[in-house]
Amino acid sequence: MDSTEVLTLRRARTRYEVARLRAATLGVLPLTLVVAAALCFTARPSSTLGFGLAAAAVGVVLLWYGRAPQRAVLPGTVAGLVPLALSLCANQIHHCGSDGCSSFCAPACTLGGVLAGLLVASIGRRRRADVWFWLPASGMALLTGSMGCTCVGYSGVLGLAFGFAVGLVPGVLGRPSAEKSV
Amino acid sequence: MMVRLADGDRSVFTQVFELLGPRIHRLCRALLQNQADAADAAQEAMQKILERAPLDYDRARPALPWALAIAGWECRTLARKRARRREVGPLEDATTNLPVPREGGEEAALVQRDLLRAAVEALGELSETDRETLLATFWDEAATSVSGATFRKRRERALERLRGAFRRLYGLD
Repeated sequence: MDSTEVLTLRRARTRYEVARLRAATLGVLPLTLVVAAALCFTARPSSTLGFGLAAAAVGVVLLWYGRAPQRAVLPGTVAGLVPLALSLCANQIHHCGSDGCSSFCAPACTLGGVLAGLLVASIGRRRRADVWFWLPASGMALLTGSMGCTCVGYSGVLGLAFGFAVGLVPGVLGRPSAEKSV
Repeated sequence: MMVRLADGDRSVFTQVFELLGPRIHRLCRALLQNQADAADAAQEAMQKILERAPLDYDRARPALPWALAIAGWECRTLARKRARRREVGPLEDATTNLPVPREGGEEAALVQRDLLRAAVEALGELSETDRETLLATFWDEAATSVSGATFRKRRERALERLRGAFRRLYGLD
């Protein structure tokens, strides 16, 4: 390879990476809409925004990187929408009795976490995915769900994580031997 | 291999480049019939192919026709650009055949050629009448249809507009 070809190769590589980054940024735009919608209903906008920005940043990195982690972004985000929607709905319902008010937020997050875990597990099993799918998908699901689960502080996020683990672990343990895809 | 590259597998980047490069270059040489233009077009095409692989490449289709289509389009674009430049007129061709100045040698000739090319570019910004007036001045021809005073006035105005165009294009007189 002569010097001109090396230079062309280098330029092509830069343009390739920039194109991937641009596509990744465009790819997380729907997630920013979800963040904006969550901000309208949440009780703790700063936490929601923080988790939303983290989810978007992780999404950009995963989409830019490509391969199995890239394919985990959509299932992970969709799975995370379940606890997010449940917690935002629960946040609107207050049950007040003689001993004070209680919120359904934490149970909704735990239930949403279980459902999200089951969803990620079922997709991962169907794809015979390996750790490079499970980890990014779980990360995206947890970050997306956490946007709503901060309604009762970080105990809601812990509830989500616990529920997610309960839903995911059987799927991960019972999966057929994964083929290496990275 | 293109599927892997489009999917984000950077380990095949150089291999794809080395496999496609000669074919793209051959196509460009065949289309443009000029070694330098073919090299330019092939370089640009290779960069575009690899840049567009993640987004535009249809993984269900073979990669080579897709890559060659981009290269072909790049060659057509370059050929059109070259044709447009040639349309500027005979002065453009004249710039390549300028005599080498006695002082300064090849370098001075290059500078002179660049200046003349810039002047031709600025001339392209003027009206037909202005161009004719300036060309007549350049070749020391007096316009037959107009009197000397009118011609001088026209030349003065055309030169002013040429200076303006030059300033607009290159930021200097």
